[in-house]
Amino acid sequence: MNAASPDEAAVSAPKEPLRAVPRASEPDIAEFASESVIIFDTDGAVHYWNPASEALYGWPALTMIGRGIGHLSTRSENEREHWRMLLQEGTWQGVVSRRTPSGIHIAVDIRQYVRFAQDGSPRDVIEYGRQSLSDGAVPAADWHIPDRLMAASWEIDVSASEKLIATIAGLRGEAGAEGQLNARYNELVKAARIVNVNERTMRLVGGNRGRDLMIGQPVAGFWPLESRATLGELIVDAMTSKTADATYRRQLPSDGILRDPLVTVWRAETPGRIYAAVNGTVDDDRSYMYLRASEARYRKLVHHMPVALWQVDASHMGRIYNDIRASGVTDFGAYLDEHPELVELAATTVQITDVNRAAVQMLGGASAIDLMRPVGYLFTVNRNALHNVMIGRFNGQASHEEVTKVETFDGRVLDVRMSVTYPKILAELDVTIFSFEDVTERMSMEAEIRQLQADFTHAARISTLGELTTSIAHEINQPLAAIVTNAETSLRWLSRDYPNVEKVKALTTRVAASARRASDIVQHIRGMASKRQPERVATDLNEIVQESLIFIRHEIESQSIGITTDLARGLPSTMADRIQLQQVVVNLLINSVQAVEAQSEGKREICIGTHLTDAGGLAFTLRDTGPGIPPEDLARIFEGFFTTKEAGMGIGLAICQSIISEHGGSITASNHPGGGAQLHFEIPVEAP
Amino acid sequence: MPKTPLVAVVDDDEAIREALCDLLMVTGLACSTFDSAPAFLSGDAPGHVDCLITDVRMPGMSGLDLLERMRAGGSDLPVIMLTSVLDPSARARALDLGAQAWLTKPVADDALLDELKAAIGAEDWPDEPGH
Repeated sequence: MNAASPDEAAVSAPKEPLRAVPRASEPDIAEFASESVIIFDTDGAVHYWNPASEALYGWPALTMIGRGIGHLSTRSENEREHWRMLLQEGTWQGVVSRRTPSGIHIAVDIRQYVRFAQDGSPRDVIEYGRQSLSDGAVPAADWHIPDRLMAASWEIDVSASEKLIATIAGLRGEAGAEGQLNARYNELVKAARIVNVNERTMRLVGGNRGRDLMIGQPVAGFWPLESRATLGELIVDAMTSKTADATYRRQLPSDGILRDPLVTVWRAETPGRIYAAVNGTVDDDRSYMYLRASEARYRKLVHHMPVALWQVDASHMGRIYNDIRASGVTDFGAYLDEHPELVELAATTVQITDVNRAAVQMLGGASAIDLMRPVGYLFTVNRNALHNVMIGRFNGQASHEEVTKVETFDGRVLDVRMSVTYPKILAELDVTIFSFEDVTERMSMEAEIRQLQADFTHAARISTLGELTTSIAHEINQPLAAIVTNAETSLRWLSRDYPNVEKVKALTTRVAASARRASDIVQHIRGMASKRQPERVATDLNEIVQESLIFIRHEIESQSIGITTDLARGLPSTMADRIQLQQVVVNLLINSVQAVEAQSEGKREICIGTHLTDAGGLAFTLRDTGPGIPPEDLARIFEGFFTTKEAGMGIGLAICQSIISEHGGSITASNHPGGGAQLHFEIPVEAP
Repeated sequence: MPKTPLVAVVDDDEAIREALCDLLMVTGLACSTFDSAPAFLSGDAPGHVDCLITDVRMPGMSGLDLLERMRAGGSDLPVIMLTSVLDPSARARALDLGAQAWLTKPVADDALLDELKAAIGAEDWPDEPGH
């Protein structure tokens, strides 16, 4: 997933800058050979040094790449002569003596072959070697290199810590300074910077971050906490050693990465630098090869996934959560509200250890490196989402999902559906995966549709109000008429020789009441006429029905239509859009009034009622004595633009249906066996 | 002293009924109110009142129905139609049936009282109290 070079990265081969020979097939194969395999350039500089060479000679590849083999040889003059002969002859075999890091010389049977370029000039030299049997060595039974022989190598710069090393060296002589020394050793490891690491180190502790992200970082960021002091101690040993090549080793406690690791430290040629090599078996039942293969497959898969993925190492937060849990905290949300610094800690210290190509594309990064930072940048727009992610982990959830917003590197804000998969409890690897799906377009489309729907609903309400102008005028005119008469009567009382204040007081009270009534009606109309976003509030269905009757009372009265209401008592309130529900009831009532009006003979009646359904929902029913709905139209009356009215737009019932289904309910139309239409809607109760 | 003229008010809106009644009282007239046409017809009011003020649009029986019914029953009681309906044909019908006046709400007090005075007769009209 190293997006700097996607194609190469896909096969999980972080670039090996010190190897001049491209990662062709030979080194890959040689990686698992039990024989030492070394490739030299024609000048005798080491280009490749396989793990078996590390095992045989004790020098990690990191220390050998780029150097001449003469470094390990006792008689360097002979080496030069030998090299000249080799290039001439093309092949050589025999026994050589070479120096190990511990200063011992071993006899090695080697075979050297020159490989030639197409023009016939020497290209490089391959050397195979094994410990000379004449030296008393027992041939290894294993055909492959055991994990423990493959060192995780480090080149470390401690040049900035000269003073500290001197201080420590001084402290060592003093009695009872152990505690202080430990702190200083840790300090030293924190100050020590990584110059280079080999692939094994990268794989073991780099968390797929790649070498580029390790180089220049403090060693402490990657070295297991338990053995940092030991490393510090070894660094001081090596740096203060009188012998340049002296090696210092120590068995470390198993740290969850390697079993019984052995660390060897010695001074490098470059002043202020040391090498460290850690040998040990991967603390895992599976073999290195198996791991490598499955990891390569996994990384290839992840890299090419179209979903943006982030791999996150939140293991240290897991430990913090354990402590918090142990202290008896159960409501972690409340705890986080009281400790916002913990969210900040996660934002700044939970490291992203890997990302895929889709993630880089989504955020507009130049390369994966831009994204390999603490997770905070994913939560700049909505810090609360991080809060939720943390609660999910604390509560031991398998996953967490929410729609949130994320800011891209060029400042755009995307709507994303974030899915977080937490590590299984007690899993060997503490890896959390974040996946982000860009839903910006979908959200804006949904917003547009919602807007369109709101516009239509509004248009339908306006059209309904248009049909009700006479009724509305009448409703407002009534209280206004009362006000005028009351006010004029008051003036008459006041103009008398002895003004009757008591009368005027009573009349003024009535004026106020009528004015309020007029104002309430205006409010209702304004509610119906306003262009507004849907809004759910605690709503009483019976109140809605009664308010709706205000709009059409005049129509009903003027047409001499009898209306009976049968409203159930004690209906529960529900979260609903009052104006929209009122719109539905008014619409259904108007349709019935018009149907009944058209009826020249017979009873003119509308019966409406409310009740609680068996399922606990709220129901509204209406039956009229109109001509009913033609059977062939029954299936279509809720369709948009279906109308039988000359002036109708045909959106009334369609809007009714969409409003009711927005509320999770259903609306039906039928004909009563005794004549007339029946309309019925039900909505579930959503407790406020 | 002549008896105080009695005016009946028929309107389904309580606020209107009360307002009209108070206006009549301050003028020195007596008033009795009914919330529907049948309520007015069912009592003995039609034979006792000097004038009737009625709303037109009411549930059940309308003001026009009421006027028709009274004329059909031989009553020539002066009737003032007080309505918010602007319906020329209804107005024409009312005037045909001998309505005293067709006034629209909100009505100016002087306009209503002038019509009442015309209906009741100046000789029976009370002196404005308090002056």
